[in-house]
Amino acid sequence: MKNLTDSFVYLGHWPSAGSFGFNTDILATNPINLSVVFGVLVFFGKGVLNDLLDNRKQRILNTIRNSEELREGAIQQLENARARLRKVETEADQFRVNGYSEIEREKLNLIDSTYRTLKQLENYKNETILFEQQRTINQVRERVFQQALQGAIGTLNSCLSNELHLRTINANIGMFGTMKEITD
Amino acid sequence: MNVLSCSINTLIKEGLYEISGVEVGQHFYWQIGGFQVHAQVLITSWVVIAILLGSAALVVRNPQTIPTDGQNFFEFVLEFIRDVSQTQIGEEYGPWVPFIGTLFLFIFVSNWSGALLPWKIIQLPQGELAAPTNDINTTVALALLTSVAYFYAGLSKKGLGYFSKYIQPTPILLPINILEDFTKPLSLSFRLFGNILADELVVVVLVSLVPLVVPIPVMFLGLFTSGIQALIFATLAAAYIGESMEGHH
Repeated sequence: MKNLTDSFVYLGHWPSAGSFGFNTDILATNPINLSVVFGVLVFFGKGVLNDLLDNRKQRILNTIRNSEELREGAIQQLENARARLRKVETEADQFRVNGYSEIEREKLNLIDSTYRTLKQLENYKNETILFEQQRTINQVRERVFQQALQGAIGTLNSCLSNELHLRTINANIGMFGTMKEITD
Repeated sequence: MNVLSCSINTLIKEGLYEISGVEVGQHFYWQIGGFQVHAQVLITSWVVIAILLGSAALVVRNPQTIPTDGQNFFEFVLEFIRDVSQTQIGEEYGPWVPFIGTLFLFIFVSNWSGALLPWKIIQLPQGELAAPTNDINTTVALALLTSVAYFYAGLSKKGLGYFSKYIQPTPILLPINILEDFTKPLSLSFRLFGNILADELVVVVLVSLVPLVVPIPVMFLGLFTSGIQALIFATLAAAYIGESMEGHH
């Protein structure tokens, strides 16, 4: 029994006291099993891990490629939009210039036509004034004439007498007599 | 009778105990200030931190638009962590990704370093090197950090209104809700600690009994559970944070 325990003690002897050092007991430190475990782990783990990492890398690459494509598309669209903006701006400029000249022309036309209308109105005015003047003159003339005629009639009526008649007749006879003598 | 008991005693005290080479409770102590710290945990934690920082710094030293192999791997890990955070926390997962990621990566690399690196080649004056998560102090620290994190998340999101969740849906549940705050870090830390310690113990015991081949399946099982435990810890931490941030309407 003592022997047995001694052998046990020897087998499991563990130098527990002392200082730092290396334990060279290859069975107790278990490096063989550890290396086997490590080897198996590397052998199987490597494949799995590589697959996993490759997949991940591929996914990242795909994502990057996709986003680059998207970026290129977006740049293209931006370029297109810029070109269209430029085109529209030039068109707008053209329209603006056209509009200004059109407005100028319209203004000139309007001024011209207004001027003409104004002139016409002036003419009308002058004509009207002239006409009115004429009419007033005529009226005045008519009235003066009428008054003169009335004066003459009054004078005639007041001055008409037998003596005047006789004198006039005599004068006329004398006139006719002289006229006859002359013709004879 | 006496002989038998004596031999059994001897067997148990020296034989089995030393066969297995299991040194639970034996630590290599450093005195820092007034504290005794478990130096083997610190050393392995530093190694883990060095692995994480070194590999990250090395790989993302020259980042490319189209990721190279290492960068691709690290981005994949980051995506995974973000995915976990988003699933558990919800919309406002952004600020918590570093925390969840740190938890996950540290625990994961710790666990796998315990299962894959031949720590035992380096011999300490006392105790032995193993995964940092093999020590309950590490896991309790991580779990308490998680507690602080979810309290901070809830308080900063809802102010003192955060505490109204303790009396919901009914005030009768108040003791249970308070108890939850203690059971959460407890369960987190013990789950991780227990799993990793059990994994390593099983491997160590099997190695001491049958040094070759037989421990290999158990070691794979250990790798699997280690990864699962890291994921569980990170997921639960994120879930607690998300739970304390979500509105109870």
